[in-house]
Amino acid sequence: MPSYLDHNATTRVDPRVLEAMLPYLSGPYGNASSLHRYGRAARDAVEQARAQVARLINAQPGEILWTSGGTESNNLALKGSTDRAAPTRLLYGVTEHPAVMEAAESLKERGWQVEPVAVDAQGLVDWPAFERQLAAGPVRLVALMRANNETGVIQDVGRAAALVHAAGAWLHVDAVQAAGKIPVDFEVLQADLMSLSSHKIYGPKGIGALAVKSHVELTPLHHGGAQERGLRGGTENVASIVGFGVAAELALQELDERAARALELRRRLERGLSALPGIRIFGAGAERLPNTLQFALAGYDGEALLMQLDRKGFAVSSGSACASGLGEPSHVLIGMGLDRDTAKGAIRVSLGKDNTAAEVDQFLQALGSFAAP
Amino acid sequence: MIYLDHAATTPLDPAALQAMLPWLQGEVGNPASDHAWGHAARAAVERARGQVAALLGAQPEEIVWTSGATESNNLAIKGALEFRGLRGAHLVTARTEHKSVVDSVRQMESQGLRVSWLKPDAQGLIMVEQVLAALAPDTALVSLMWVNNETGTINPVEALAPRLRERGILFHVDAVQAAGKLPIDLSRAPIDLLSLSAHKLYGPQGIGALFVRKRPRARLSPQLHGGGHEQGMRSGTLPTHQIAGFGEACRVAGERLAEEGARLAALRDHLQQRLQQVLPGLHLNGHPQDRVPGILNLSFEGVEGESLRASLGDLAVSSGSACSSATREPSYVLRALGRDDELAGASLRFSLGRGTTAAEVDRAAARVIEAVGALRGIAGAGSAVPVTPPVNAHGYPAAVWAAFSHPVHAADLGEGAVAATAGSPAGALRLRLQAQLQGGRIVRAAFQAYGCPVTLAVGEWLAGWLEGRRPGELHLSAADLRTALEIGDDKAQCALLGEDAVLALERQMSLA
Repeated sequence: MPSYLDHNATTRVDPRVLEAMLPYLSGPYGNASSLHRYGRAARDAVEQARAQVARLINAQPGEILWTSGGTESNNLALKGSTDRAAPTRLLYGVTEHPAVMEAAESLKERGWQVEPVAVDAQGLVDWPAFERQLAAGPVRLVALMRANNETGVIQDVGRAAALVHAAGAWLHVDAVQAAGKIPVDFEVLQADLMSLSSHKIYGPKGIGALAVKSHVELTPLHHGGAQERGLRGGTENVASIVGFGVAAELALQELDERAARALELRRRLERGLSALPGIRIFGAGAERLPNTLQFALAGYDGEALLMQLDRKGFAVSSGSACASGLGEPSHVLIGMGLDRDTAKGAIRVSLGKDNTAAEVDQFLQALGSFAAP
Repeated sequence: MIYLDHAATTPLDPAALQAMLPWLQGEVGNPASDHAWGHAARAAVERARGQVAALLGAQPEEIVWTSGATESNNLAIKGALEFRGLRGAHLVTARTEHKSVVDSVRQMESQGLRVSWLKPDAQGLIMVEQVLAALAPDTALVSLMWVNNETGTINPVEALAPRLRERGILFHVDAVQAAGKLPIDLSRAPIDLLSLSAHKLYGPQGIGALFVRKRPRARLSPQLHGGGHEQGMRSGTLPTHQIAGFGEACRVAGERLAEEGARLAALRDHLQQRLQQVLPGLHLNGHPQDRVPGILNLSFEGVEGESLRASLGDLAVSSGSACSSATREPSYVLRALGRDDELAGASLRFSLGRGTTAAEVDRAAARVIEAVGALRGIAGAGSAVPVTPPVNAHGYPAAVWAAFSHPVHAADLGEGAVAATAGSPAGALRLRLQAQLQGGRIVRAAFQAYGCPVTLAVGEWLAGWLEGRRPGELHLSAADLRTALEIGDDKAQCALLGEDAVLALERQMSLA
């Protein structure tokens, strides 16, 4: 029986989400910006979804902007909030998603001084170093993810927010992996900007959101049209927005249940793995997402293991789906101080709401057979 | 509902929906994942890439997925200029381009780009020689739409492309309204960059593409940075279901292009003839011949645009581009064609599509003829006819809607009555009140008006209010009117017009 254990890469669309989307895929709803009647019905649906997504992170509906996904949200956050400022410094965590890293690096061309924020061996911000960094000169924006996509390590972004604000800067939080897995509160975390993605929480691909506090001046990435208060042009993707809304609502309703189940399965996985020789779990000393486990087996080539697991029908990954096939070791693990060989051996298991204990046991069995000395 | 707004968005083709459903029902892979699930998703994405390329006569590897035409246009213009490091260079485009091109260019203009904004002729056409004459030694890019979204006018991009190629100037074409409607063959037309949108050709919303030529290679700086998807030109997880639907929609569009084009041209011509036979004072916006089959854009003399739209009930048409209708400004495209604000505002774009039938076109024509006749009557041209639109499709307050849709006091009382007119300085609003006096009382009142539905409702309400009152007792403020008709802040000027008209009438009666 094949097992999908790669939920941090993407998730199946929940049947309840699809059901909500279908009327907007097959019905005569029209362009949400058109003024005629069906356009108004579509607009109402878009606004309801905005409220649903806002509730997932305790934001105001007016703070939610639609995007085409997490990558656009992160690009809009970094480029959009720095565009009108005189270039100073921008800081981002070394374990950030490529969309944050690359967007940040692209700002160098515009005169920004872009610096990584170091993490310790567990993947947690090195706080004394971070404070020194903030004090070293003016900073406009700091980008830190709430939870890491590879290791699942949860960052104390609330603590970061206080320091960042005291330094007169804004905090962007990539919450793509955290939302729906652990409670995420835009207010409590004191973030100024926050990225979300639908397809990580059983919604459709191709839709995401950026939460923006009203004091943040944002320049659009996509110019044209008055959609999203002029901050994001383009005809609204109504069916996907509606699907994202329902996915967000379900994620909030079922958060505790999903988290508890995932944690139980992950512990089962950890118990099984601990029997294997040379096992190393990354970020084990830090608080992590309940569904995520990244490990390496000493002496085994991760890539070969992944291929064998794939042949047996187990979908897991080495790290970020985006970097698959590049053959490069995970920048996340390198950032945590691991050597290249260990990092290259990494395997990430990310559990989903429909995985079972039997699947975990079969995975362990398969891994055990490949990893037998 | 009669849906004649296919240039705004099209319903999803059933075959496209079928292509999408597997990826929404159980299939799970991320096309970038290196396992069986991911490979299956990748295969669907690549199949669709081939389908989109086939519609254009392009190679699959020349197709880059985007979130839609707005992103495609932004990526083409900003990406091309940024790659060349030519922010201060020169660009040629037209005033009639889509908002996403206009706004992208304006953004670059604010950073030092020099721009020639070409003005079209009265039919909306940009000429090849006109573009060539605008070129400068440092022109880096020409961006011109193949088909205009409001008028349907077809620009001669195929004739222009080789002329730009021989000069080494990059050519971007927004083909959103052309794809699936006109044959496109990029193996012959040396266009470098070409934007597409799925939901204008019966595919899903939220997905588009940019054609980026490989030979000679058009190079772009990415606008979305990240995992390096799409050959580094556009990062972000690919939405498999959207892409599969887009691909299938392109396949169907290619198959039906010739037959459907002929059918829509005949229906469109029938609609145009029917309206022109009955209604005087019509102006065609766009080129009479060089026009895509499904689009008809007309301006109606002597009616106000918002009232016209409100009178159409469940006939879904567009007044100008749907993207900008939230701003309620007269279409900049029609103004570029030389239309004044009034005629630009009083325009309707009918855009026919696959589901449109001859019976629907006839019903649409009848509805428009009735509405234009009624509004011209109320404005004082011809005899007043009640509007009675079938539904309050635009959400006017109930009191406004009741008065607007059943105007029993719209009339011209003739010489025997006292009359007074109030109007806005620009003539955008006009309200004429009339009162017949007998024994020191107003025994009959009537109104004539030109303006939005709220203006007409104010006229109707005031005429009813005047009857039975005595001159000298006409104390009514704009605030009273706003309360009575539930008029919001955005329409406060209509209530002020009402107050002015009552004051003017009182003055006339005291003189009489």
